[in-house]
Amino acid sequence: MSAASTKSYVLLRIGDRRFALPSAEVSELAPPVRLHQFPHNSPLVSGIIVRRGRLVPVYDVCPLLTGKNSPSHQFYLVARRHFGSASEPAAIPVNGDSELVTADAVQVTSPKYVSGMLMIGEESIEVLDLDSLVAPEPHENNRLDYARLNP
Amino acid sequence: MKIAAQDVVKARKAHRPEAVILFTVANQLLAIAAEAVQEIRSTDSLGSALEIEQQEIAKVRHTIERGHRTYYVVNACAHFGLRIVRPTLVLMLRQIRAAILVDKIERMAEISGLHVLPRAFSGAERQWYRGLAYVDDQVIPVVNPLGFLTAEEFGRLDAMAEASRRDLERAVQI
Repeated sequence: MSAASTKSYVLLRIGDRRFALPSAEVSELAPPVRLHQFPHNSPLVSGIIVRRGRLVPVYDVCPLLTGKNSPSHQFYLVARRHFGSASEPAAIPVNGDSELVTADAVQVTSPKYVSGMLMIGEESIEVLDLDSLVAPEPHENNRLDYARLNP
Repeated sequence: MKIAAQDVVKARKAHRPEAVILFTVANQLLAIAAEAVQEIRSTDSLGSALEIEQQEIAKVRHTIERGHRTYYVVNACAHFGLRIVRPTLVLMLRQIRAAILVDKIERMAEISGLHVLPRAFSGAERQWYRGLAYVDDQVIPVVNPLGFLTAEEFGRLDAMAEASRRDLERAVQI
């Protein structure tokens, strides 16, 4: 862990857990619109939603983060995923109760997809690094790390 | 929070309207450019299709001879990794010697633009699709006809078909 930094974060609920994303990365919270699905073999990608005339890929991160299947009728948090110097919108299914907070995050290095930790009241909330979370790499080690940290 | 309108990645749109054929494979709706299809036939009319014995390229099981050319019959279910259902139609492609087994034709449509496949899609689908179309509130992948068989697969299939032909000729002589 290293020094704390004060920033604005969006708190979101995935399955039965709360996570945070830096608000600068978040575009909007979209209602439960239609998920368009078609054949592909990209890991984590569950389909496409259409927002403001744009096609936004949806990453189903719930099983990875919580070990449970995603509930149906979900909202979508639209953020940005970076590919080198380029970026594109990326949506993750969440349930509706998101909130904006300003808090100090303590940097952490493991698992790879967690960039920091927020203390909100009694609760410690992981700040997600979306790019690492949805990168097409095996997360097995990360899952083991998570299990070790949260027995 | 920012408004999504600040997104910098924009869908690349073709300027010219394009006619596409909407078809289904294992209940999945897909599109292909009408000009990429030479002919649509019923599978019942393919009595002359020859079975080829090979396991390497599982999606190809038959060949069709058309105008002194050998067309490889690609099972679209196997190509897209979908559950195998009994096809009823075959799309003879114009650009390559491939014929595609599909379930049924839904209808023709005209698309005014093609959205680039988002980078989130990083697997074989980048070869399978030219992009995505938005037709009647539905996102439909537009298949890349050249993606059904690679040059390398054609080479292997041609070699196997030639070997099968020689075996058949030898058997006939005996």
